[in-house]
Amino acid sequence: MIRLRVGAAVMFLAVAWMTAGCGERDHAAWETPAAAAALTATLEPGALKTVQTAPVELWRGPGGRPFEVALRTSELESGRTRRFGSITMPTALRTRALGEYPCTSCHLGRRVVMADKRIADAHQNIQPVHPEQTGALCSTCHAADNVELLALKSGERATLDDGYRLCAQCHFAQVDAWADGAHGKRLDGWQGRRVLMGCADCHDPHQPALEPRIPFRAPQIERTRGHNK
Amino acid sequence: MSAERTAEKPNGAADGTVRQKPVDRRLALKILAGGVATGAQALGACAPLSAATDEEREVRLLAWQEYIKGNYRFMTEEERADTIARLERLAKLRRGEEVTIQSTGAQPGVVFGYAFNISKCKGFRRCVEACINENNLDRSAATQYIRIFEMEDGVIDFDRADATYQHEVPAEGHFYLGTQCFQCADPPCVKVCPVGATWQEPDGITVVDYDWCIGCRYCVAACPYWARRFNWSAPEVPVEEVNPNQHYLGNRARKTGVVEKCTFCIQRTRQGRLPACAEACPTGARVFGNLLDPDSEIRWVLANKRVFRLKEDLKTEPRFWYFTD
Repeated sequence: MIRLRVGAAVMFLAVAWMTAGCGERDHAAWETPAAAAALTATLEPGALKTVQTAPVELWRGPGGRPFEVALRTSELESGRTRRFGSITMPTALRTRALGEYPCTSCHLGRRVVMADKRIADAHQNIQPVHPEQTGALCSTCHAADNVELLALKSGERATLDDGYRLCAQCHFAQVDAWADGAHGKRLDGWQGRRVLMGCADCHDPHQPALEPRIPFRAPQIERTRGHNK
Repeated sequence: MSAERTAEKPNGAADGTVRQKPVDRRLALKILAGGVATGAQALGACAPLSAATDEEREVRLLAWQEYIKGNYRFMTEEERADTIARLERLAKLRRGEEVTIQSTGAQPGVVFGYAFNISKCKGFRRCVEACINENNLDRSAATQYIRIFEMEDGVIDFDRADATYQHEVPAEGHFYLGTQCFQCADPPCVKVCPVGATWQEPDGITVVDYDWCIGCRYCVAACPYWARRFNWSAPEVPVEEVNPNQHYLGNRARKTGVVEKCTFCIQRTRQGRLPACAEACPTGARVFGNLLDPDSEIRWVLANKRVFRLKEDLKTEPRFWYFTD
């Protein structure tokens, strides 16, 4: 039953995306007007035009300059438009990248127990490594009555697009380095507006360490004097 | 600051030290070329020398005009436009590629710098992959500008490092350090070039005029960082994989017997974009920016992190720093 409902939600989303003109965003009731206004901003060099951003309010970059965080999917490279066959689409919001979003299609108005096997099956893509290591519960980060919202310690709520505000509560050194430019990535340009990728664009929030990978192929030309073995 | 060297010692074309003779061999050849072209057109009307098609004749003429052109550094704007038009046409006629070649100059007040975080790099080599695609590197010889060294924790020793690792990374007890052209402020490769085919641009990028290079490979020997690559054979890039956004001094098609090198993706960075390696890095280990902007990320890293450069004792002043978290 749950699988069916998730499937239906994904299909509904896919259709909604196709019909919604992609670049626009549906303004759900829980969004703040400020965040919604920020989304209409356009960006400068090259590919950044297609990426939606939000200003980062509590942190400043080098020299006290303000900067923005990109609202984008975790799977896209550098905020490029994406090509599906002959159709070119702008990059999507992070919330749109989540296959099971909106969470409220299942988690509506009733408390969900993760120990329930059916629930665990529905979320096989979520490996709760980070919560297990830190002893956190779902409700440590997610609002108990609406898992789509993040519960900050201040009592405020953040959307999934503002995830860095949640991460910053513990990983303050990383967020400071991110704001200054030594951690994380800047999108596309070294010049013009400074738009950074958000935490969850690289780190899976439930399993934040980067997975080991097989590297791209090794160089085939030997360096002289045996310097590369 | 090392970046200021460039400003004091402009290497651009406008410095009045152009080595030109009133009527030199090239000019004479150029006049001759005009004659040949006219003759060929006249002959084409009645008795062709061979069964050449119009396209073949056009290629021959363009190739000849390319052969006798001057050094890009000393060309006027018109000459640059002409050679770019010829190169774009030749790419279309010879290889069926639709390319756009820029001649974008350096932005005033910009000197590029790079920082590489050895705490962050995991050795995935995604930068190498992006570099190959962006810069149209020779697929047949598997040319790579970037080399990632796998090193044991605690020692930076290139003799013991492994650059040809091919296993799941990051490996336990190792860290990764990438090298490429460091765009030195005092580049030994430029000093040894006997024909002036390589020089440093005002934004600090050392470039090669592939059509002026004679292939002596002095620069390859002079570079202490092994940053230059020689084309022993004609570079091959499948037409569908060619990056059409090209720069005369960057990723345009190379030929046999010339030297090439990393240009910090001159075709991208002069338009305000990041180099392909920095954009592709999945770990955020690469920081790129303007050294002359005190509020840039690269300046923040240099001011606040523990940084070092390779072989500093050589006084080549690389504009490429390594740092740790």
